[in-house]
Amino acid sequence: MGDRLTQVQDAVDQLAQQFVAALWFVQRRHDLETLGPKDKIFTPKQDGQAPPPEVDSLPVDDFRAGLTELSRDLITKEQQIEYLISMLPGLQNSEQDQERAIKELEEDLKAAESQRREALKERDQILAELDQVIRSIRRP
Amino acid sequence: MADQEQSTSSTFPNPPPFWQDFTPENLTRIEQLRKSFAEANPTRDVPTRLPVIPESLINLQPPAEPKDGRFKIFGEHYTLENKLVTLEETGIKNLAPTHPSRQGDNANPSSSLNRRDVPHTDHALELKRLAKSLLLNFLELAGTLSINPGDGPAKVADLETLLFNIRHALNEYRPHQARESAAELMQEHLDRTRRETTAIRSQVEKARRVLEGLGSLTIPAEAERGAAAAAAGEDAAQVAEELRELDRRRDAELWAATDAAFT
Repeated sequence: MGDRLTQVQDAVDQLAQQFVAALWFVQRRHDLETLGPKDKIFTPKQDGQAPPPEVDSLPVDDFRAGLTELSRDLITKEQQIEYLISMLPGLQNSEQDQERAIKELEEDLKAAESQRREALKERDQILAELDQVIRSIRRP
Repeated sequence: MADQEQSTSSTFPNPPPFWQDFTPENLTRIEQLRKSFAEANPTRDVPTRLPVIPESLINLQPPAEPKDGRFKIFGEHYTLENKLVTLEETGIKNLAPTHPSRQGDNANPSSSLNRRDVPHTDHALELKRLAKSLLLNFLELAGTLSINPGDGPAKVADLETLLFNIRHALNEYRPHQARESAAELMQEHLDRTRRETTAIRSQVEKARRVLEGLGSLTIPAEAERGAAAAAAGEDAAQVAEELRELDRRRDAELWAATDAAFT
């Protein structure tokens, strides 16, 4: 799972692959019919062997169902792409906004870091005090 | 020849020979040279590359930038300025020249200044348009193929152009996303640092309370013991028993205070 741009990119690539797959399905699984009585289906001969059939027909209902499914998938994928696009980070920010935000964050980070150091120092001090107290405890 | 064989048989190539020039003596010498240069030219910053340098120290400073702006590393060609190749340069029709950052070189310089504060919302709109066109063009392609398959390739070319355009638009967006992610990371870091600080503070506070509790505890215990010692004229065995009892109670109080402070 990459960043969102890469996700969009991948989704677009998948959409392109789905295009090919859909065309291939139509090409391969349609019901082979002649348009007129004179038409013949051309099958190339290959030295006696029966060539693999060019069309592997599906029953009409299955073919229709397949078409519907493929089209639905295409549309879903397209909508997914649009959703991803609208989810791209910082659409409302311009480059200047970004630079300003980054500068502010930098300042805040510096302040927070110095506060942390202070707290650490305080902790070490209290630890030393506690240590001293524990050491000085003796049985009466 | 022997060198070559060695470098081809090892997993990683040998380091370039000039690493041996980085001796402590040479490093101090170049440091001195830099210093004297800075003294001679107080107004200027010391450049990374000193203009005059003895031959033996030449490898201690980075080489000059390539004059034509191109260089090759690991068999790949690069240019100094890392800029995105425009669609026109690759010979693909640019479908969406509406975004200011895509208007190319003929845009006047003032617009290139304005361009920095343009939000990217229209960029997203453009991408959505492209995505919709992609679907529509596929529908057209399917239609074309069913009516006149000979016209198919033209439509396929259209689809190709669309895909290239989308890819290009996405790549244009990448620097923007990189800045955005950087800001996000910094925010995360900031939050973490702040959380850590509060956690440390609260622990310190607790420890301080324990210390204070201990301080207030010892005084009455001492007083009691003093009183017990004053009454030590009577039975020695009874006093010893009392003392033990007192110690036990003091311990119990101490532990109770510690428990209270830490729960």
